[in-house]
Amino acid sequence: MLRKFIILIAISLGLGFLTKSIGLSSHQAIAISIFSVSILGTLFFWDFRLSFAFLGVSILLLTKAIDLENLIKFSSLEVILFLVGMMVLVGLLKESGVFAWIVSLILRVRNLSANKFLISVIVFSALLACVVDEVTSIIFLVAAIFEICDYFEVDPVPFLIVSVFATNIGSAGTVMGNPIGILIAAKSGLTFEDFILKAFPLMLVILLALIVIVKFWYRKQLNDLDNKMKKLGANEILIRLISVPPEKSLKIALAIFGTTLLFISLHHRLELLFNLGPNTVLLVVPLVLSGCVMIWKWQRARGYIEKDVEWWTLLFFMLLFAQAGTLKFTGATDVLAKKIAYLTGNNPVFLTGVVLWISTIGSSILDNVVLVAAFIPVIQSFQSINLNLAPLWWALLFGGCLGGNITLVGSTANIVALGILEKEKNVRVTFFRWFWVGLTVGVVTTCIVWAALIFLPFYK
Amino acid sequence: MKIKEVMKREVISVKPTDNALDVLNLLFKMQISGLPVIDDQGKLVGMFTEKNVLSFILPSYIEKIGNFIYEEDPKSIKGKFAYLSKMQISQVMRRDVVTAREDSSLCEIAKDMLIRKARRIPVIDETGKVIGIVSRCDILKALSKKAEAAVNA
Repeated sequence: MLRKFIILIAISLGLGFLTKSIGLSSHQAIAISIFSVSILGTLFFWDFRLSFAFLGVSILLLTKAIDLENLIKFSSLEVILFLVGMMVLVGLLKESGVFAWIVSLILRVRNLSANKFLISVIVFSALLACVVDEVTSIIFLVAAIFEICDYFEVDPVPFLIVSVFATNIGSAGTVMGNPIGILIAAKSGLTFEDFILKAFPLMLVILLALIVIVKFWYRKQLNDLDNKMKKLGANEILIRLISVPPEKSLKIALAIFGTTLLFISLHHRLELLFNLGPNTVLLVVPLVLSGCVMIWKWQRARGYIEKDVEWWTLLFFMLLFAQAGTLKFTGATDVLAKKIAYLTGNNPVFLTGVVLWISTIGSSILDNVVLVAAFIPVIQSFQSINLNLAPLWWALLFGGCLGGNITLVGSTANIVALGILEKEKNVRVTFFRWFWVGLTVGVVTTCIVWAALIFLPFYK
Repeated sequence: MKIKEVMKREVISVKPTDNALDVLNLLFKMQISGLPVIDDQGKLVGMFTEKNVLSFILPSYIEKIGNFIYEEDPKSIKGKFAYLSKMQISQVMRRDVVTAREDSSLCEIAKDMLIRKARRIPVIDETGKVIGIVSRCDILKALSKKAEAAVNA
C-alpha cells in the first residue's frame, strides 16, 4: 500500500515538474498533477478515490489554479442532477418489481434453445443498458442467467461474459445508458435524437458482430446447453419460478418511466418549441418525474434519496469534472490539443482514430468516466483550431463504452457481475479467460466504429 | 445489575473446523438459532446462525431485484446444500460478532441487541476467551423481575 502511494505521488509530482519544465505555467502543471492523482487513484486506490478527489480540489482552490465560481461551473451539476433523478426513478422501478418482471420474461421464453437463450441474453442486456445504468441492468441479467444455467446444469460463465459485453455495448446506444453518454451530450450539445439516429443503429450493428463472435467462440458451450435442454426437457419450473404481484404501483411505475423516456426523446423538439437552452428539457425531465414520484410515495422519498442515489460515486464524478475543468480553465488542455493536432497533421480522420483508440484502450483499464472527463476539455479545445468535433464525440462515446469489454476490470458492470459470480458459484474468472475473448470483441467492435466514423458521411 | 449476574456460564459452542451441515442439524436438535464458534484456545472467532445458512443458500442478488414472489424453489438450493455438507463453519459463520464484558450493564447490552440486531451475545474476558453467553430472554427476564420488585416494594 505504502509503495503504491509513493509511486502515485512520485508520478504526479514528476508529471507536474515535467510539464512545468516544457513551458507550461505553474497553474497548468498543478492542474495536470492533481488530475493525474485522480486517474492513478482510481487505478491503485479505488476505495480512496473520493478522499483523493476532496484533497485534490482543495489544493486546486488553495493554489488558485481555479476559483470557486469556476470550480462550481465545471463540476457539471446538471449532469449530476440528471443522474440523481434517474437513480430515483430506477429505485422506484426496482421497488415496484419492474426488473423482477423483466427477469421473469427471460425465464418464460418458450421452447428455449441455446441460440435463443444467447440472443435473448444479448438483446435484453443491450436494451436494458440503453435505458438504465449498466450496474442495475447487469444484476438482473445475471440473476436470469444463473437461474437458467442452474436449471440446465451448465457453466454460467460464458453467458455472464456475453451479457456483460452486450451491456457495455448497449450502454452506448442512448444518452442515458452510461454516465459518459449524458456527460458527452451535456458538453457537446448532442441531443437524444442524435444518439437515436447515430449511436443506436451503430450499437445494433456492433451487437450483430458480437453475436457472430460469441457464437463461434462459445460454440462448444452452446452445444452442451442444447444437449442439456434436450435431455431435461421444457423449462416448466423456470417458467413458474418467480412472479411479480400485478399491483397498481407496477403499472404506475412503468407509466412514469415510459413518460420519462417519451419526454427525453422529445427534449430537442420541446426546447425548440419553448425556446429553451440546449438540453434543458433533457436534464430537467428526470428531476420533474422523480419529484412527482417523491410526492406520490412521500413516505419513501427519503429512502429513494438516501439509498437509491449513489452519493459516493456522484460526489466523485462532480469533483472529477471540476478537476478536468481546471485543465481547461488553466489552458492546459489547449496546449495538449494543439500538440495532438500538430502530431496528427490536423487530419480529422487520423484524429478520430487517435481519440477512438486511446479511449478504447484507456477505458479497458480505467473508469471510463475518468477518461472521458479528461478528454472532453481536449476535444472542446480542438474547436479553436477549426476542427469538426462531431466524429470525435462519437469516437469518445464508443471508445469509452467498448473498451470496457477488453479486460475484466474494464467497467463497473464487469466488476459487479464477476463479484456476484464469485459469491454465488465460488468461481473466480482468470484474467486471460476474459482477456482473449474480450480483446477480440473489443478490437472487432472498435474497428467497426472506426470504419463507420471514417467512411460514413452521416457521422461527420 | 451487571451481565455476570444473568449470563449463562455453561456455553455450548462449536469449532471453526466443524462441518457446516452437522452444526446446522445440531441447531435443529437444540431448537436454537445460533451458536458461538470458539477456537482451540477458547477464543471467540465467530457466530454460526440459521441466518448465515439462509443467506448462503438463497441467491445474493434477491435483495437487489426488488419486489417478486418465489413460486417454486430454485434448483440452486439443492446444490448449495450439497456444497454446505462439504464446508467448514468458518466459511459460513459471521466473523463480526457483538460481544459483552461481564461488568457491562444490562441496558448497555440490551441496547447492543436492539441496534446491532443480535439475539444472543457472548461474554468475553480481557484475553478474548468466552466466559458466558447472554440472550434477549435472560436480559428481559432480569429487567422485568427488577421492575416487578420495585412495584411490589
